[in-house]
Amino acid sequence: MGEFKVHRVRFFDYMPSAIRALAFQPQREKIAVARTSGSVEIFNCADRFFQEKIIPGREQAATEALAWVGDRLFSAGLNGVISEYDLENQKVKYTIDAFGGPIWTIASNQQGTHLAVGCEDGTVKLFEVCEGKIQFEKNLAKQKGRILSLSWHPSGSRIVAGMMDMIRVFNTETGQSVHRLLVERGIGASRSVECVVWGVVYLSDGTIISGDSSGKVKIWDDLTGTLIKSHQVTKWDVLALSVSQDETSVVAGTSEGTVVQFQFLSVVLGQEDKEWVQTRIFKNHTHDVRTVLELGTAVVSGGMDTQFVVRPLLDKIEERGPECVLRKIQFPHRSLVSCAKKAGLLLFQYPGHLELWRLGESDGHGASGSVLPVKRKPEKLLHLKIKGEEHICCSAVSPCGEWIAYSTVASFRLYRLHCDNNNVSITKVSKLPKVLSSANQICFSSDSSKLFAASTCSSVHVVSLSQTVHKFVCTLKPKSGSVQAVHLLAASEDGKWLASANSDREVQIYNLTKMKLHSTVPVYNSGVTAMAIHPTTNNLFMVHADQQVFEYSIEEKKYTDWSRQVQRNGLHYLWLARDTPVTNVTFNPKNPTHIILHDAYMFCIIDQTLPLPDSSSQFYNQLTLRSLPEKDRTKHSHAFKMCKTFKELMFVELMEDQSLVAVERPLVEIAAQLPAPVRQKKFAT
Amino acid sequence: MAKLQRGESECELEKGVRVSVVMSDSSEDEGPEEVAFEESRSAALKSEEEKLQAAKREKELLKEKRRKRQQFFQEQKKKRLLSDTLLEEFDTVPQKQKKLSDDRDEEKDKKQQKLTKSKKKKASRSLQGNCSVMRLKDESADSSMQQSAMDFIQARLYGSGTLRTTNAELLSLEKKRGVKKGAAVQFVNKKWGAEQKAKAEKSNKRFIHRQKLVTT
Repeated sequence: MGEFKVHRVRFFDYMPSAIRALAFQPQREKIAVARTSGSVEIFNCADRFFQEKIIPGREQAATEALAWVGDRLFSAGLNGVISEYDLENQKVKYTIDAFGGPIWTIASNQQGTHLAVGCEDGTVKLFEVCEGKIQFEKNLAKQKGRILSLSWHPSGSRIVAGMMDMIRVFNTETGQSVHRLLVERGIGASRSVECVVWGVVYLSDGTIISGDSSGKVKIWDDLTGTLIKSHQVTKWDVLALSVSQDETSVVAGTSEGTVVQFQFLSVVLGQEDKEWVQTRIFKNHTHDVRTVLELGTAVVSGGMDTQFVVRPLLDKIEERGPECVLRKIQFPHRSLVSCAKKAGLLLFQYPGHLELWRLGESDGHGASGSVLPVKRKPEKLLHLKIKGEEHICCSAVSPCGEWIAYSTVASFRLYRLHCDNNNVSITKVSKLPKVLSSANQICFSSDSSKLFAASTCSSVHVVSLSQTVHKFVCTLKPKSGSVQAVHLLAASEDGKWLASANSDREVQIYNLTKMKLHSTVPVYNSGVTAMAIHPTTNNLFMVHADQQVFEYSIEEKKYTDWSRQVQRNGLHYLWLARDTPVTNVTFNPKNPTHIILHDAYMFCIIDQTLPLPDSSSQFYNQLTLRSLPEKDRTKHSHAFKMCKTFKELMFVELMEDQSLVAVERPLVEIAAQLPAPVRQKKFAT
Repeated sequence: MAKLQRGESECELEKGVRVSVVMSDSSEDEGPEEVAFEESRSAALKSEEEKLQAAKREKELLKEKRRKRQQFFQEQKKKRLLSDTLLEEFDTVPQKQKKLSDDRDEEKDKKQQKLTKSKKKKASRSLQGNCSVMRLKDESADSSMQQSAMDFIQARLYGSGTLRTTNAELLSLEKKRGVKKGAAVQFVNKKWGAEQKAKAEKSNKRFIHRQKLVTT
């Protein structure tokens, strides 16, 4: 297989931001996630929770809540504005000021006609959802105290609002408060502090369920305005509540990282009278859980430990499949690292700046697994801060290491890098073609003569780069007229072909000599997570979110024989059971039959000459092969060579000098920078 | 007899003057004193006058009070308003501006700017307290409200009263109770315990210095 010197890179200080809000869209099974950095991500529940879109955030963002109205996504934050997102172009469509001070919560009614926002000044404002905009309709009766949570009654006639020390039920037509439910403060020291009702849920039979900062989940009746039952769930706060679609299960997220489930069951078997009973506790987080979602078949939670956790409810799932797996999504499903192969440079994309590092050098040789002495340490060549408040959407460095490009939602910047041995200088390219206003994905051609920028409606702009003038060459557009954005670009080594994958599951291949569309890969129902064009055979290798692997021959416009054989044989069940997607595919120029790819917990070399593994053979067989003598190895080896030495991988690439770069981000380092968790006294500690 | 025993009764001028008889406790045998008509009349008139005067005095007193209050309020109001000198200046400036309108435009503008500047300077000098002028566009009130909202959340979740511990403690406990037992993260990972080590170094140095263990 080969020996590789591996550069184990741990100086990428990737720090994700905490999850603040979740919202589920049942029609298309998408979950929108809002983070404290202001970014919004869309996950597809049906496609192994693949992160389809990322809308970058901004500085000083404070998104507090999200709401779907049909296909439209709205968010509200502490800056007092309601924003609607343009999901096709992955940016904010418009913002509207609610004029009520910081907005704590937003909720849409089941009919999809109105949005209610709860503001700091104590008003619940109703907005009418019109075509292309939202319009202020009226204020409900102003209260003394901030509105922290809202929930519509399924009929749309009433709203319940959780405030400080009380819960109010409003009639939406008259705008008057119908009931005032007083919430008891905690015992002991917390009696002097106001009790904050962090979450409320309104059920169709008139039951109101609330979670407050004294750690109680209370069940109220809205006809009489009285408390039915109170459950003490935790010593700390109950921060979030969510009810399932059929209203039989409610989950509550707490400050200690647990998610508690309540179900509407009859206490005595056979009897008709049902009540809300605490059933299960899930402890999947180490820090506060700020938001939960009850999907019916799974419980999704997110909080201050930045992990997106999907915990399936196995009693609701009928068949065994990929939905039965506990998923903890820690890393983004896109690559934040780009590599200049010929120059040995790495570009790290942070939200507010870019860092360019040169890899270190080592001369020594050693046995497998040994650590080589470092002759020259890796050094940071460039720290490029962006102007403005927006965060970076995408970035790229050219293979020769001379050009750096990045794009935010509002601007596109290209820089020329001059790198002598000791001096690094950077000049900004000022006169860019006007079409380059912003890009969803950037790619350089392998000889660094062209820049490809993916823009609106799946189109790709081609700009030629030279010493002096950068000319706009042409725009490549797909035939289907899709409005979705492109999230992956791959250029061929000989500069003739360009492949683009968009959120509509389309993969287009463009001919760069004629500058027009060459072919479209047959649509597969799972999104593409990584793709690359082979340098010699010009085969497009694609890996999908459901871990399927395809190889498409560009010149022949059909799948290759190897790919058909893989489909006939089927992939090994251990390969399909991996829960993180493959984010990068690369090739080895010296061994044309090798394909190198990686996901978060393994990196793998696929050898196309070797036979494919069947379900009975041992899949992770590298260690056993090493223990066998040389002659027996060929009998037992198969095409998938997996290596699990490196964990929490963000990027793996093969450089020109046959050394591997593995960028790792240990979870312990991320955990070190999280906010403080609650203090729990455990036995024997 | 009963009328006499009742003592002095109020006299009514309209009905005429009645003869008032004063009963003395010492002698019941003696006959009633004879009081002359004129005396009693004058006594009655005097008492009436006194009453009138008392009422007048009360009115005067009330008037005085009201007057004093009025003065006090006026003085307060004066204090709030700018001084008279300033008002005069303000009056003169528009007159000056009117004069300048006859001159050329450039000169007018310059002088106006100067005057407005001087007006502003004078105004700022005489405004009481620390006041500064800011445009509403430049700094919105929203940022302060946003900051106070974020402080509220920070105080509720991480403020005093919430029982919080450090990430080092959390990870160390996980290591202690985990399947593969290990030492606390401060000892394993050099970056974690750096602060505590620095503190320990300092206190060691202080101890040595105090105990004079290092012989000079």
